Amino acid sequence: MTKYLATLLVGAAALASCNNPDNEFGPLVPSAPGVYILSEGQFGQGSGTVSAYGVASKTTLIDAFGSVNKSASLGDVVQDMGVVNNRGYICVNASNKVEVVSVPDFGSVATIRNIRQPRYFAAASATRGYVTSWRGPYTNYAPGKVMVLDLTNNTVIDSITVGRCPEQLTVLNGNIYVPNSYDNTVSVIDASTNKVTSTVTVTAGPQNVVADQANNLWVLCSQPYGTTSTPPAALVRFAPGSTTAQLTLPFASSGPRQLRISPDKKQLYYSYNGAEYKMATTDTALPTTVFMRRNFNGFAIDPRDNSIYGAVSTGFTTNGYFLHYPAAGGKALDSVTVRVGPNGFAFY
Amino acid sequence: MLGAFSRAHRGPLGCALAIGLLVSLPSHGQARAARPDTLVGRRHRLPEAQVRAVRPERFAVGSQRLEVDSAALAQYRGGTAADMLGARLGLYIKNYGPGQLATLSLRGTSAQHTAVLWNGLNIALPTLGQNDLALLPISGNTQLSVQLGPAAALYGSGAVGGALVLRTEPDWRPGLRGSVQGDLGSFGLRGGSLEARATTAAVAVRVAASYRQAQNDYPYLVREPSGLVRYTMRNAALRHQWSISPDLAWRVGTAGELTASVWLTDADREIQQGTGVAGSNAREIDQSRRLVLGYRQVTPRGGQWQVRGAWFEDIINYSDQGAISNSRVRTTQSQAEYTAPLGQRASLRLGVEGQHFAAVVDGYGPDAITENRAAAFGLLRYDPRPGLRLSANVRQAALPAGLAPLTPTLGAEWDLYRPQAPDSLAAADRPGLTLRASVARTYRAPTLNERYWRPGGNPDLLAESGHGYEAGLRHRLAPGARLVLESELTAFYQLVDNWVQWLPLGAGGSYSPRNLRQVRSQGLEGSTALRGHLGRYRAAARLAYSYTQTQKTQGVAVDTDPVGVQLAFVPLHRANFTTDHGWRGWLGSATYTFMSYVYTDASASSFLPAVGLLSATLGRTVALPGRTSLTLLLQSTNLLNRRYDSYPARPAPPRAYTVSLRFAYH
Repeated sequence: MTKYLATLLVGAAALASCNNPDNEFGPLVPSAPGVYILSEGQFGQGSGTVSAYGVASKTTLIDAFGSVNKSASLGDVVQDMGVVNNRGYICVNASNKVEVVSVPDFGSVATIRNIRQPRYFAAASATRGYVTSWRGPYTNYAPGKVMVLDLTNNTVIDSITVGRCPEQLTVLNGNIYVPNSYDNTVSVIDASTNKVTSTVTVTAGPQNVVADQANNLWVLCSQPYGTTSTPPAALVRFAPGSTTAQLTLPFASSGPRQLRISPDKKQLYYSYNGAEYKMATTDTALPTTVFMRRNFNGFAIDPRDNSIYGAVSTGFTTNGYFLHYPAAGGKALDSVTVRVGPNGFAFY
Repeated sequence: MLGAFSRAHRGPLGCALAIGLLVSLPSHGQARAARPDTLVGRRHRLPEAQVRAVRPERFAVGSQRLEVDSAALAQYRGGTAADMLGARLGLYIKNYGPGQLATLSLRGTSAQHTAVLWNGLNIALPTLGQNDLALLPISGNTQLSVQLGPAAALYGSGAVGGALVLRTEPDWRPGLRGSVQGDLGSFGLRGGSLEARATTAAVAVRVAASYRQAQNDYPYLVREPSGLVRYTMRNAALRHQWSISPDLAWRVGTAGELTASVWLTDADREIQQGTGVAGSNAREIDQSRRLVLGYRQVTPRGGQWQVRGAWFEDIINYSDQGAISNSRVRTTQSQAEYTAPLGQRASLRLGVEGQHFAAVVDGYGPDAITENRAAAFGLLRYDPRPGLRLSANVRQAALPAGLAPLTPTLGAEWDLYRPQAPDSLAAADRPGLTLRASVARTYRAPTLNERYWRPGGNPDLLAESGHGYEAGLRHRLAPGARLVLESELTAFYQLVDNWVQWLPLGAGGSYSPRNLRQVRSQGLEGSTALRGHLGRYRAAARLAYSYTQTQKTQGVAVDTDPVGVQLAFVPLHRANFTTDHGWRGWLGSATYTFMSYVYTDASASSFLPAVGLLSATLGRTVALPGRTSLTLLLQSTNLLNRRYDSYPARPAPPRAYTVSLRFAYH
């Protein structure tokens, strides 16, 4: 009888430990190399997630943050993630915070709070990060900020006022280029002084800035968020130190999005009219042929093998998915369901 | 339950309790399925019937109706329809927090699929096509019932999953009555209400008012990487909520009755955000002014005609960090109907109604928009013999984009078994077994937002159409004069076609509403209620269970929500237990509500876990000299202190208490 009871107790204890939500031996991030997939989640429900996909194992851990960190919620509207060394910086837009995680395992490192409406992250060095931050309510926006982060202790050490609704910034040779999407300007910040040194005027609504192998900057200009006017959308190139465009390539209609550049910095990619286009940085005209006929809500090129990841969002109430393509495009290698609103990628 | 208690109790304390609780609300049905009002039964109360309105429910033969006991209403008199319908009737309410947006889902349908009527007129916000139950204080009404299933023929647009029917009924007992109540509760709850009635042979006047405010600064826990962290709810206060509702009924001669009802509500709320959302200080002012004038006349041949005119103004002013969204809609409505007896066993009602909306809404642009709607209806009730009741109804509405679907309804109730019962038993309490069935078509007119919102508004949107079937059994057993057991079982099936969904299909990828889906809802509803008395002790208990399976069954490729999956925010299982006890001046009452998990996305991957909630009331009434009494009520919600989210990232309050003191004159 005693033996029976002991067996029962041990069994019960084992069962209890299986059900313990605080169990440290939960699912793990798949081994590197891998990709983090950002899902915005449903606004107001705190259901933003980052999933992790192991390229070799083709396994996916949905909601890596919650799985690894005691079922904690990552937050509301996951917008962007940057990786510096072995740290990931996740801009959680509606939660007004940057969540810092350890890469690749996704253990929580720190939470940098009180960064209003954070949009995009870029690092100027191993110790300096920059986050664009919107100010003011919808359609009544005030000039935004670039928040300067000390990545050694994950604190905000400075903030720089830029134009309205600053978006996806880039760093080149000690300067930070910030597209002010609700204005028609790009602010140039000297990373050594954290001061705006010049402002480049572009056609309208700049959303992304990338730097090419010739150290020129490309800006994708489109319709600003929340506006009903349709200013001339264009892809604009300018040289560092110059405040005038070298090249302005207008689009026939509004709506180009998601300017990306290949790891070798020789190919540009953007989304337009429900398709993905690709052009060489040496081209002087927009491409007329489609690269991939898909409407991606997020697009990234794996720096390790140039393979392509495209995120497909299927509305704000259903799970989305991402597709993994070979570098040349064509037929997808894999398709994986993730949570609501996939919009971007980061690599580990 | 307590309604029954008030009728039978004769002792001074009991009388005081009854009146203290009921104030002078007429004691109507219990919190159970309402009983058929037979023509045969009606003929016994002819004198009263001369001016008494023939309710639309008389034509709702074969469908299920839930009525809230007036004593239960009195318990909730400081609260809102949201507090009442969830706890007392066990209906599913999607609730964004205490005092925050609360919408009703009947039989798995959405918030826009419940028609809300006040004194016979649709009071849904024309912009949204729905009502926030948290903005409907209980004090404004004397009757509250829920009709389940498609019922557009009776209640017009939006009665797809059912209808919430609110009324202020004149009380013709002569004299003066009144009460005043103060409430004090957890998390900064302060409230008060008063009601006064004066009735002469010709005039009945009632004035009711209530006030409530609450800080809602309750603690909640959030799972963070470091473990559970305790926070205090912020920006969730109910700054104030007023309701004032004067009513007048005037008997004009022996055959006419003029009624005037006003209902003013005003709420100023901070809008609670999800726990993951930072930095919001959203606030909303909701004001509604409703006025209805009616005249009813009985003709010498026993017919009855009635006209009603109404004027409503609904204001919603929202702001968050300088972002402002204001709206104001003025609605005028008129109705005319004639109800004719067709021999001894049938009656026919024919009617028309018109609605005019004028809306100034930030989202529609600077100009006011106007819209007109009209409808005609015919309702027939026929009782071929006492044990068989039939109804056939139809409504045709004309909408700006064309005719709405024709919505006929057929219903039948057949007493399969009805043994002889002692005459002392009220007709409704006689034992028996009744089979009932109904089949109905229904519709929902597109809302003003769906038609005029910029960008995306779709003026070509069709009305949603639906049809449904239900069949049920009702069994009553009265093993002695002191005990009644009543059980019901209902099976239903309904389809909604042209279900409207907003998708990014408008100009420039803007979200625009389209008639895209077919949604099917089917299920079972069962309940059993026992009530009885022994000397001065009265007790009642009701157990109800619902199984509701609701799925999208057809769609189009651009609408990515999957088919064949339980819709978000529709629990498959719901159960509800209520029990009420009265003895001398004491009252005790408890409700337990269980809901199975609900999905929170259309993919059925995230969910809120199942939750069971208990609330209870304890009360004591003491009779005082001079026809007055004092009642003390202690109420508690979430008595088991369950930690749960009423909506994703909206933690509900922990156990909370309210103390009320009521002074009544009768």
